[in-house]
Amino acid sequence: MTFRWLQTRSARKFLKNRMTRFSLGIIGVYVLTTLALFGGVVTLEETETRIAAGNIPGFWGHYPIEQRFADTEMYLDAVKRAMNRNDVPTALREITYGHRRIGSSDPEELRQRLREAESLFDELAVLDDLNHSSEHLRSVERLESVIDGMFAAMSTTESFSRRIRLSLGTDRQGRSILLRGVYSIKVALLVGMVTATIGVLVGSLLGAAAGWFGGWTDNAIIWLYTTFQSIPSMVLLVLLAYLFTGSRFEGTLLPLYVSFGATYWIGPCRVIRGETLKLKQLEYIQAAQTMGFSRFYILLRHILPNASHLMLINFSLLFIGAVKSEVILSFLGLGVKEGPSWGIMISQASPEVVNGFFWQIGTATALMFGLVLAFNIVSDSLQDAFDPKHAGN
Amino acid sequence: MWAYITRRFLFNIPVFLGIVLLVMAALRVHDPVYAYLGKNQTQEDVDQLREKMGLNQSFLVQYTSFLGRTLTLNFDEESWDQPGVSVGSRLTTSIGPTLALTIPALFLTTVISISVGLVSAYFRGQLVDRLLVLVAVLGMCVSFLVYIILGQYFGAFWISREFNIQAFAIDGYESGLINWPYYCLLPVLISVIVGMGYDTRFYRAVMVEESERDYITTARAKGVSRERIMFLHMLKNAMIPIVTRIAISLPFLITGSILLEMYFGIPGMGRTLIMAVNSNDFPVIQAFTAVFAAVYIVTNILTDVAYALVDPRVRLA
Repeated sequence: MTFRWLQTRSARKFLKNRMTRFSLGIIGVYVLTTLALFGGVVTLEETETRIAAGNIPGFWGHYPIEQRFADTEMYLDAVKRAMNRNDVPTALREITYGHRRIGSSDPEELRQRLREAESLFDELAVLDDLNHSSEHLRSVERLESVIDGMFAAMSTTESFSRRIRLSLGTDRQGRSILLRGVYSIKVALLVGMVTATIGVLVGSLLGAAAGWFGGWTDNAIIWLYTTFQSIPSMVLLVLLAYLFTGSRFEGTLLPLYVSFGATYWIGPCRVIRGETLKLKQLEYIQAAQTMGFSRFYILLRHILPNASHLMLINFSLLFIGAVKSEVILSFLGLGVKEGPSWGIMISQASPEVVNGFFWQIGTATALMFGLVLAFNIVSDSLQDAFDPKHAGN
Repeated sequence: MWAYITRRFLFNIPVFLGIVLLVMAALRVHDPVYAYLGKNQTQEDVDQLREKMGLNQSFLVQYTSFLGRTLTLNFDEESWDQPGVSVGSRLTTSIGPTLALTIPALFLTTVISISVGLVSAYFRGQLVDRLLVLVAVLGMCVSFLVYIILGQYFGAFWISREFNIQAFAIDGYESGLINWPYYCLLPVLISVIVGMGYDTRFYRAVMVEESERDYITTARAKGVSRERIMFLHMLKNAMIPIVTRIAISLPFLITGSILLEMYFGIPGMGRTLIMAVNSNDFPVIQAFTAVFAAVYIVTNILTDVAYALVDPRVRLA
């Protein structure tokens, strides 16, 4: 069946375009990443743990000396607090920044290092003109190396993995932006796939039933979709997401699936109904009727397969809609609640942007851009391939 | 003509009944009183609030009474979140800011998009056209929220830092024409930029389709200039899809852009609705959604009338 499909005129036309093949490849990469995420490449826990100071820029570049200085203070404070606790070794063990852990278990040695670091720190702290002169830079670097000495040496793989995690910087809470962005691919693909599938399935079945059976079925289904359509989709999404607040499904993705599913079936339903009405007039359907096939058989065997290209096109459109709406709902506090998603990342990035830190918003936007653009190109060329009239545009 | 309008009107009655039913049922899946009062309520409080809202009556009684109040635009119940303020007055105070945002945005988006669409169709297949289409497609792949965040950063923070002028407000709203550019121009511009991606593509497709029709060939054959065809013949005939497009966006004049209102702290309809959802303000949610739906239906009927006026074929259908 698939092999035959690859040889049809539309399929060849669809695959002839280089951009389309490239986009399919991109979508493939996203899907593979999602599968890898299901395999546990990045766990939810890893995306939530602090690995370094907050708002470190990406690409391991140098960042303003004031921020580096402030970061050393954070590490010093953490160690100092632990030293003042009753159970010092346990408290020290609790200091973790990803793979970065306190090294020596000998408190005396650590205390000495701490003293050294503090004196260096105090020297710098009294300066009121901390600037990028080589002298100041050297002192900060020395301070950093003393602090590094307090932490255990990492194995090659560990330090490599840490470098990767820091490649796109950290968010305000010191979590790896790369890990959060990549983990969100799974969320986006899940939301997109599930809601687009629900939308297309429900919409196509209702639409085909309305067009094929006509009469009261048709009237009822038209009434149903006009009703749903008459509530602005944003308001309907908000209303449906509200339904789940306080229920035990709050925090899962289920509220998103339901509210998108309930909103998104309308488009495919109208399109498939129109197509069914058109197909109904065609000779081969009339032939099937005269041959005495049951109405259900004709619907399943002839009508739905011949409208399947429209389902495919609608699927890609709904997918894009779902991925983009997730961002908006998450910003409004009605979408994803546990773990990262592009929507969560973008809305958390807004105070960072005010301070001129663009790594988080950039990462989320770039990852989303790739996925949405690839789907846009695929859906456009699907329309071109299946609709001769659309080709010229 | 009148028969057609009456038919459209009658068709929309069951639709409205359905919407109110849907909204009311959806809001009663969880008991709104418990959601509002939280865990530490006494049975007495619950009963009192229920009694006040008529929530202890049967669904049918509530349905007919709410339907009646919606039709007579009588929203004098008290908002739960802001005691002493009626739902009706919250509606009337929040409609102004929304319209201040959405009307200029719709107007600008439509005018600019039609012009760009015409330009694109005129240079069809050439570099200008390809660039415009590319920009529109790429622009659509970025989230609305990103435009808002970056727009606010560059419009409100960056300009004031670099040039030392506070051109636009970071957030907030004050009514009055003098205050309009300060509070509303930036959100309007953002909304125009976002809307243009979709609209230029749509209008370009309309123009391209129109340019392939027989009457264009005829006009060309009798020697009418290309520009005259573009701006007179084509634009006139493209009015039907243009009117449709504008009519589709009319309900959004009222719902407004929830996101823009939330982000820029503009106290419009969308923001009021979201705030009501967050504070479980049941009377406000119910009334606002019903009003949104009613507005949608009224614009639907008006669109149908506009169709019948623009396109004689519709009247006979």
